[in-house]
Amino acid sequence: MAAIWTELSALQQDIALLLGLLLPAVLIGALVLRGFHPAPLVRAMLWRFRWPNALFVLLIAVSLGIGIGLLAQERGLRRGTAAAADKFDLIVSAPGSEVTMMLAAVYLQPSDVPLLSGDIFNVVAGNENVALAAPLAFGDSFQGASVVGTTPEFVSYLSDGRIDGAVFSEHEQAVVGAAVPLRIGDTFKPAHGVGDGADHDAHDHALTVVGRMEPTGTPWDRAILIPVEAVWETHGLANGHAPEHGDQIGPPFDAAYFPGTPAIIVHAEALWANYALRSEFTRDAETMAFFPGAVLSRLYRVMGDVRQAMSVMSLVTQVLVAASVLVGLLILIRLFQRQLALLRALGAPARFVFAVVWSYAAALLLVGALLGVLVGQAATWALSAILTSRTDIAIQAPLGWPEAHFVAGFVTLSTVLALLPAVTVMRQSIVKGLRG
Amino acid sequence: MSSALRLSDVAVTGDTGRRLLRVPSLDVTPGTSLGIRGPSGAGKSTLLFAVAGLLSRVSGGVFWAETDICAMTAEQRAAFRARHMGLIFQDFLLFEELSALDNATLPAQFAPKSGRAQIRAAAQDHLTALGLHDLDRPVASFSGGERQRVAIARALANDPGILLADEPTASLHRDAADRLIDDLVASQAAARRTLIAVSHDPALLDRMDRVLTVTDGQITDDSGA
Repeated sequence: MAAIWTELSALQQDIALLLGLLLPAVLIGALVLRGFHPAPLVRAMLWRFRWPNALFVLLIAVSLGIGIGLLAQERGLRRGTAAAADKFDLIVSAPGSEVTMMLAAVYLQPSDVPLLSGDIFNVVAGNENVALAAPLAFGDSFQGASVVGTTPEFVSYLSDGRIDGAVFSEHEQAVVGAAVPLRIGDTFKPAHGVGDGADHDAHDHALTVVGRMEPTGTPWDRAILIPVEAVWETHGLANGHAPEHGDQIGPPFDAAYFPGTPAIIVHAEALWANYALRSEFTRDAETMAFFPGAVLSRLYRVMGDVRQAMSVMSLVTQVLVAASVLVGLLILIRLFQRQLALLRALGAPARFVFAVVWSYAAALLLVGALLGVLVGQAATWALSAILTSRTDIAIQAPLGWPEAHFVAGFVTLSTVLALLPAVTVMRQSIVKGLRG
Repeated sequence: MSSALRLSDVAVTGDTGRRLLRVPSLDVTPGTSLGIRGPSGAGKSTLLFAVAGLLSRVSGGVFWAETDICAMTAEQRAAFRARHMGLIFQDFLLFEELSALDNATLPAQFAPKSGRAQIRAAAQDHLTALGLHDLDRPVASFSGGERQRVAIARALANDPGILLADEPTASLHRDAADRLIDDLVASQAAARRTLIAVSHDPALLDRMDRVLTVTDGQITDDSGA
């Protein structure tokens, strides 16, 4: 059995699991309804107390919707953050926290970190397997947008060449991310620092926007990219080149005039080369090299435990909701006590009355679950929009198989629970029921 | 199905063990219309429910023809009612959201498949014969008299040999009650059904072949026995 299961494709496993989860509900329905046609009566019962019924459906829909919305959102967040790190194959930095460095280099959340020297940069950039090595320089901002110093090659690499206008070719030029409120031709002066504490008058170095990147779905959409030389010059440092090459933009850099970079973004054409480069540049007390993707997956493993806890909590919440609905149904069923007693008085088999009550409860639960899927979809759209606007990471959280399994599990569990009100009805006296 | 009724040493007790009704012996010939009268709480309805097989704490024998329904399980009694009895209640007990036709054909929903078409056709015929029109309208919009006629059509839909009615005219004004009595008696006479009706209404009791008086859980008078 296990061997058959492992031979199935992921899609086949998902479909099989979905059908497996729904099977008990379908079997119960088939067994309970066999030989009867209680639909007209059930419709009448649903319509008779339509407002309490609608409230039940809404309660189920909202609780289920929030549950599946959170599940989908968590997955969307993981995918979005992973996609944002796609362009960052390997990062070389001074030894320290990989997470801190990844947050700084990939997600533009800079912190004070030691710098790498020009010699190290040149060793990295000069390696035969390195297709691109770019220094980064942080610390300035403009109206909340990080100003990042780097090379023209990195700008082309990051944007895949999808740039409206041109990449900077002079010290006073800049390329802006898609979400930066500057147009091509605009001139601005970066402030020193980021956020509320930024000093707006520290620099007198005006830059002109010459290009705008297409949206990348990463925090870099809200960044302003300028020549790394310009950042260094603004801060009164050497600009990475000997005075006779003072106007040069990008590599090669002269180690003697290289003020230092917190991180080098490295891209190799071949996958294996990344591994070779990582071991080569992992040197005690000098440099550390890491894959942001690997750091993220370690983080996701930690988050995975949280996710499992979330799933369990979500399921427990659903069971509690189902239990509350069950209590509500038991109360609601009492409203139909006379009609149900009448059916038994007229000679309806116990199983028919059972089928009517179960169908009524199952209909409420099923409609609630289906509506819950819509609520879940709306919740993920809203949450994705909020998170995207706050993090600049493009987050898409379409509902997927885990949510389908979650809903199917809820439907089956609650249809089993719906047998209870039906059993209770059977235990009541017909004559007492008729008298109301 | 012959619809003679025989009660032998019947006793009904309540939940607390109190005796509600005692009938040492009663015979009703097939095709009789039997009225049951008496003060409120005397046990009239209990007698009706006992012969309908709706009560569980009944000792003795309640025989419809040769069948003792006291010896049956609740499920067997339900099947017996579905095949042989039609029931009418004081406040109609209809599904308000369903149409007159859907209410009258209710027994078809749980009848064996082979008998459903027949029940539907019979219910429609009875509704028409009882002068009801616009059968697809929800019964909530019908008058009291019309609703009770829908209930009669429902009771007759399975062509029962036995009709049991509990205060069928009590919720109707006089004109509607008189018309209902005509309809009920006509339905009984047309197919020589056995009709047992609990009522306070002298107009209904006057039309019965035989009238029992129940007082304090016992039959104290039997006119026409």
